[in-house]
Amino acid sequence: MPVITSPEWSGSETGGRRYAPFTVNVERLKPWHTLTGRMHFFLDHDWMRDLGEALPTYRPPLDMHRLFGEPTLGADGAKQVTVRYLTPHSKWSIHSEYQDNLFMLSLSRGGPTIWLSPADAAAIGVADNDWMECVNANGVLVGRAIVSHRMPEGVVYVHHAQERIIDVPKSEATGRRGGIHNSVTRLLVKPSHLIGGYAQLSYTFNYLGPTGNQRDIVSTIRRRSQEVEY
Amino acid sequence: MRVMAQMGMVMNLDKCIGCHTCSVTCKQAWTNRAGTEYVWFNNVETRPGQGYPRRYEDQETWRGGWTLNSRGRLKLKAGGRVRKLLGIFASPVQPKLADYYEPWTYDYRTLIDAPLGDDFPVARPKSLITGEDTKITWSANWDDNLGGVSEQGHLDPIVQRVRQESEEKIKFDFQQTFMFYLPRICEHCLNPSCMASCPSGAIYKRAEDGIVLVDQDRCRGWRQCVTGCPYKKIYFNHKTGKAEKCTLCYPRIEVGLPTVCSETCVGRLRYLGLFLYDADRVTAAAATPNEKDLYAAQLDLILDPNDQQVIAAARQQGIPPDWLDAARRSPVYALAKTYKVALPLHPEYRTMPMVWYIPPLSPIVDLLRDQGHDAESPGVLFGAIRALRIPLEYLAELFTAGDVGEIERVLTVLAAMRAHMRNITLEQLQDDSIAASVGMTDQRIREMYRLLAIAKYNERYVIPTAHVEQAHELEELGCSLEYGPYEQPPLGEASGRPAPVAVETFHALRQRQTSDVSVSGEELRGRVNLLNWDGKGAPDGMFPKRREPA
Repeated sequence: MPVITSPEWSGSETGGRRYAPFTVNVERLKPWHTLTGRMHFFLDHDWMRDLGEALPTYRPPLDMHRLFGEPTLGADGAKQVTVRYLTPHSKWSIHSEYQDNLFMLSLSRGGPTIWLSPADAAAIGVADNDWMECVNANGVLVGRAIVSHRMPEGVVYVHHAQERIIDVPKSEATGRRGGIHNSVTRLLVKPSHLIGGYAQLSYTFNYLGPTGNQRDIVSTIRRRSQEVEY
Repeated sequence: MRVMAQMGMVMNLDKCIGCHTCSVTCKQAWTNRAGTEYVWFNNVETRPGQGYPRRYEDQETWRGGWTLNSRGRLKLKAGGRVRKLLGIFASPVQPKLADYYEPWTYDYRTLIDAPLGDDFPVARPKSLITGEDTKITWSANWDDNLGGVSEQGHLDPIVQRVRQESEEKIKFDFQQTFMFYLPRICEHCLNPSCMASCPSGAIYKRAEDGIVLVDQDRCRGWRQCVTGCPYKKIYFNHKTGKAEKCTLCYPRIEVGLPTVCSETCVGRLRYLGLFLYDADRVTAAAATPNEKDLYAAQLDLILDPNDQQVIAAARQQGIPPDWLDAARRSPVYALAKTYKVALPLHPEYRTMPMVWYIPPLSPIVDLLRDQGHDAESPGVLFGAIRALRIPLEYLAELFTAGDVGEIERVLTVLAAMRAHMRNITLEQLQDDSIAASVGMTDQRIREMYRLLAIAKYNERYVIPTAHVEQAHELEELGCSLEYGPYEQPPLGEASGRPAPVAVETFHALRQRQTSDVSVSGEELRGRVNLLNWDGKGAPDGMFPKRREPA
């Protein structure tokens, strides 16, 4: 069965084979880099056990108000709301694949966007396609609102890696360029990230890295002047 | 009985992920030039949503398609000859650019020319129509993934129709969210209202495969076809002043290749193949009094390619044997007529559209699973089809002129297939009662499953090449000297009278279509390629190079 290739993504390995992980372990019987040589979830490192994370477990989001002085979640009486700020994968790209060519922008909204729920939009007086800003202690992001009932209240989505040189105006909060999705995030290191040299907890490029907890962030959203400057 | 062949398409909406690869590759191939910036022969809409152009399904406004007059005869919804003549210069009823969208580009030059500053430079949007700074307020796919639908979803004509019956049916509420993607191309209708609308007779339906095309030489830019097409799949090129439309990639189809949108479809949801139909009965079928009977009437036009009478009549009409063979292997015939799981888009427009859709079942399965049910067990799934929040009424307004029973039937067949195949996969006892409950057998369900789930390229696209048998015959008509492989009409191969397909042109065409390098300037000698011409100056090869005086 031939692999369908495209100029952007071949997915094709030697001999027309599909790219697939762990083939060397399965086909050449190379042991996995774990203590047992098998695939497993259980991590019996002392620190992981101390943290109660020897097996996959639920951890609630951090209390950003108590830890870092961010505003508490919800409306504060002014025309702004503090929400959870999530940066999910965009619909149209994986990894560093370039999504912001003119065709794809014509098939979306042509610039940086922030998805939010009708309830949050109403609370800050934002209508669909209005310019708005997400602000917190880390930075600021300017984008246009996409108001959709697909979004639950209290959460905004800013899709990963929207092009920062396309239609990004200056922000009201800083007067500087209105940032990118990562302008309002920051890396928080968990103690368990510091484990190294222990079976599968040994760093290798593209194999072991920090978890996505730098996305565990809150941000205050508000409407801004609709006359933007570039 | 007058048997004719029609190249048709089926799209399985369960598989569409809304990636727009079809739209982009189509645009790159066909409408990547001045005058067609806003044109997408293929587009993918999120439903519920307004679609492209906005609210194109509102025929009270746009007056596309056919209706019945007081004597029960077909007439164009846009009006008869007198009315059309009175409005011929204004052509008043058609979408404006704002209803499509104002195409834009970006000030990319700033990125390299901007002076040194405190902030990095950005490219701001510029209108492709005026060249001025612009604010983007609408696009070819504005309501993608329900963006803005909580505010503007009530403008979706289908939402309006469903809510007329019950306000409760569709709520734009987080807990009741549903959506699916609807990819659209020209329907290549059996009874095209665009063709009937054209005052110049420039639109024609090809006799051999039913592809509907605009003759660019005869089009006078009256734009009546834009009004006439209820799917708004004819576009006005504001640079050439002529109408353009999806060609079903006929240069590819002629050499046995699928359309660009099908070839590049990531989800492999498109099927291409032949229908045989009875051309004598099309008008009568399109004039079926009750709109809800139109789907059945359309299905009834499709002839059985295994029927000896049909085969004999088809041979008499000159349909070559390899085409009849392709018709017997046709995946679109199987899905539309044999299994009856593919439905036409808006049969109530009475155009007899030839792009069919398998309605989406996945949202139902996903929801059941999320609610903690065993989503593929037949008892749960069958009962859920009608009860669930994805409104069957919405699908019915799209595909069966509002007949909810037909939608339920199709979804039940698809659900039965899942349940039956799950039993087999899990090595449980084969339960023939599931198949029997939808009037099928184990064998038939397995065949349908194969076609829907694992059909390979040459099973999904069964496309007989053009006229291999007729090529030699046509050559003998005295055209062979006029149309060699290198001789072309003055404005390129798409201009002038249609060239009969000869062995030479056939191979030249195939070579060009399958080659992955573009024709160089030197090879262009005597042939003009207008595809990438932007309308400025004279294209290469149009006139002989000026010789410098000695």
